[in-house]
Amino acid sequence: MMNYFPDEVLEHVFDFVTSHRDRNAVSLVCKLWYRVERFSRQRVFIGNCYAISPERLIARFPGVKALTLKGKPHFADFNLVPQDWGGYVQPWIEALARSRIGLEELRLKRMVVSDESLDVLSRSFTNFKSLVLVSCEGFTTDGLAAIAANCRFLRELDLQENEIEEKKNHWLGCFPDSCTSLVSLNFACLKEINLAALERLVARNPNLKSLKLNRAVPIEALQRILMRAPQLVDLGTGSFVLDRDSDDSETYRKLKATIQKCRSIRNLSGFLEVAPRCLPAVYPICLNLTYLNLSYAAGIHGSELIKLIRFCGKLQRLWILDCIGDKGLEVVASTCKDLQELRVFPSDPFGAGHAAVTETGLVAISSGCPKLNSLLYFCQQMTNAALIAVAKNCTNFIRFRLCILDPAKPDPVTMQPLDEGFGAIVQSSKRIRRLSLSGLLTDRVFLYIGMYAEQLEMLSIAFAGDSDKGMLYVLNGCKKLRKLEIRDSPFGDMALLRDVGKYETMRSLWMSSCDVTLGGCKTLAKKMPRLNVEIINENDQMEFAHEDSQKVEKMYLYRTLVGPRKDAPEFVWTLV
Amino acid sequence: MGITSEQHSSASSIDSSSDPCAAAATSSSSFCPPIQGNNSARIDLSTDLRLGLSISSSYYNDLFPTPTTTTRVQPLSWPPIRSILRSAHLDKALDHKQSSLFIKIYMEGIPIGRKLNLFAQDGYDSLITTIAHMFPTTILCPGADRVHSDKYHVLTYEDKEGDWMMVGDVPWEMFLNNVKRLKITRADRC
Repeated sequence: MMNYFPDEVLEHVFDFVTSHRDRNAVSLVCKLWYRVERFSRQRVFIGNCYAISPERLIARFPGVKALTLKGKPHFADFNLVPQDWGGYVQPWIEALARSRIGLEELRLKRMVVSDESLDVLSRSFTNFKSLVLVSCEGFTTDGLAAIAANCRFLRELDLQENEIEEKKNHWLGCFPDSCTSLVSLNFACLKEINLAALERLVARNPNLKSLKLNRAVPIEALQRILMRAPQLVDLGTGSFVLDRDSDDSETYRKLKATIQKCRSIRNLSGFLEVAPRCLPAVYPICLNLTYLNLSYAAGIHGSELIKLIRFCGKLQRLWILDCIGDKGLEVVASTCKDLQELRVFPSDPFGAGHAAVTETGLVAISSGCPKLNSLLYFCQQMTNAALIAVAKNCTNFIRFRLCILDPAKPDPVTMQPLDEGFGAIVQSSKRIRRLSLSGLLTDRVFLYIGMYAEQLEMLSIAFAGDSDKGMLYVLNGCKKLRKLEIRDSPFGDMALLRDVGKYETMRSLWMSSCDVTLGGCKTLAKKMPRLNVEIINENDQMEFAHEDSQKVEKMYLYRTLVGPRKDAPEFVWTLV
Repeated sequence: MGITSEQHSSASSIDSSSDPCAAAATSSSSFCPPIQGNNSARIDLSTDLRLGLSISSSYYNDLFPTPTTTTRVQPLSWPPIRSILRSAHLDKALDHKQSSLFIKIYMEGIPIGRKLNLFAQDGYDSLITTIAHMFPTTILCPGADRVHSDKYHVLTYEDKEGDWMMVGDVPWEMFLNNVKRLKITRADRC
């Protein structure tokens, strides 16, 4: 029936199909639908910038307005990928600039961005509105100055956890006086800022809804900024300390009064530097909060965190440090009944094992917050009994990431591996999509994952498993698997080569400090021309004879339609 | 930053040229670049086992942490936490008594080293006292008359720039910021 409709009608129907996956599915129905869909697609998501080329993107989707690109593999976040590995955005921006693409939004994650790229970006697209950079590097505040100066209709500049070289250029002052369209500004990852320019910018941008400051914005400036922008929905404070010497009771009083007027704030973060005695200033708005991020607030004791949490009855997402302790998590469990996402970060990652949070805290949360669907939990220890209890209490996990700080640590009560515990989680949360394992684990946990985790898309494995069987259970069982990343586990060529076709159904596979050999990787590369099998070899040894039996330190493979990349550095070898 | 930089010292990345066209001939099967394969830490352990050396548990723990270890020894790039979060906390850690900074300490002539938590020390005196309990020698205090003898040792450290310096010359906080590891060297060598 749909074939009798003119293209415009099809297009109108497709307008309601917004998710990338749904649109991808639509394009596969027939040639007509493929054609209509591709001309009407405005938002494109590319999970691996090396899977496709900018030219092919432009050829297929000439109407693209919003592009998301991701570069380095996830383990790059933990320093497992060397500098200069790749992930350059320059060729993308150049190609888009050369074409007639009317780019309006660009979102980049783990990519290398240069000042030149930002400059070209700022000059090439008149309607450019939104730039979001997450975990990127390679640029300086000169690049930001170009964006500020040239993007006349900029609505969003969101810099999340990037490594930015800061020049003495007051880039913020490059926003012209005519810039009044800002809705979202996040510069929390910078060390410096021009305060006067910031206050003027906030004053002339009445639509500002999201503002995340950096450490260089003192509490007095925060108070003045909030006076100008009581309409904020999303606030990241900078420094939240009162100068010990100054007469601070007046400042504190003014701050608290100003914060009280900001009734729209739903998301609160920052506290990059915080003094406990200042924290009560935010109590008045806590009851409105749905998202609270205190994961940078080192130096706040559990008792102060608890006092704050007691005000946050509507919280849905909480990011916090483990100094909240098990007792604090019990308070969260009894206060935050709508909690969906919890992230507990280690305040002392290399410490000598002070029991900050344990399985007790997690069980308490699961018991008090049955809506919990997303968890990231760094802890000192975990038991099977606790995980089984959590699995009973919460059956809606979409993301479950557990990191026991001591690698390969067993259940301290039974000294057993944690296979049964994780098995219970995957069995009860049928919709689980992302899983990170830790603790002592045998092949058995992978058997469970392969059997039960039918919707699993991303799996992170470290110091786990006994043999190739473990990896095979996962590859065979998890039909929806897209990303698999493994470190320090005894999986080798047998597992790698059993089902080579599987990797074309996935985005990527990372294996480091495992048992795969050069010969195994070569075999795989030969059989699968549409995979790039990259070996990262950091050792500067020129004298070694290469042997197929040598174990490979780091391998990263990914499906691609454009063959081996031409920008690989010397230490990355793409096997063919 | 003590632990992080130290644990990464064996996995230094090669500074490749920034010219993307200078990619190695990776796709040519005739050129087979060498691969070390196992990291050198693994090779060292197997060599030592073959030689029949008795390995003290602290050395073994440096390579393969076991659940029974009481001191926290971390493998490379673990725990999986972003470096930005780490450095934010380590900055704070310098103010806190409960955080730790474990560094390696070797004594000349003894191949097996120890690990020492610098944050658990109040200053140089406390450091020397702790070391005296760990190693069988007398450490000369900084500023004491140097006795040139093989019976006495002095304490040296490797700083961020890779230079070996005498312990005790700079203020304690500055020392904490710069120290990468310690070595007890014979007094007659200084």
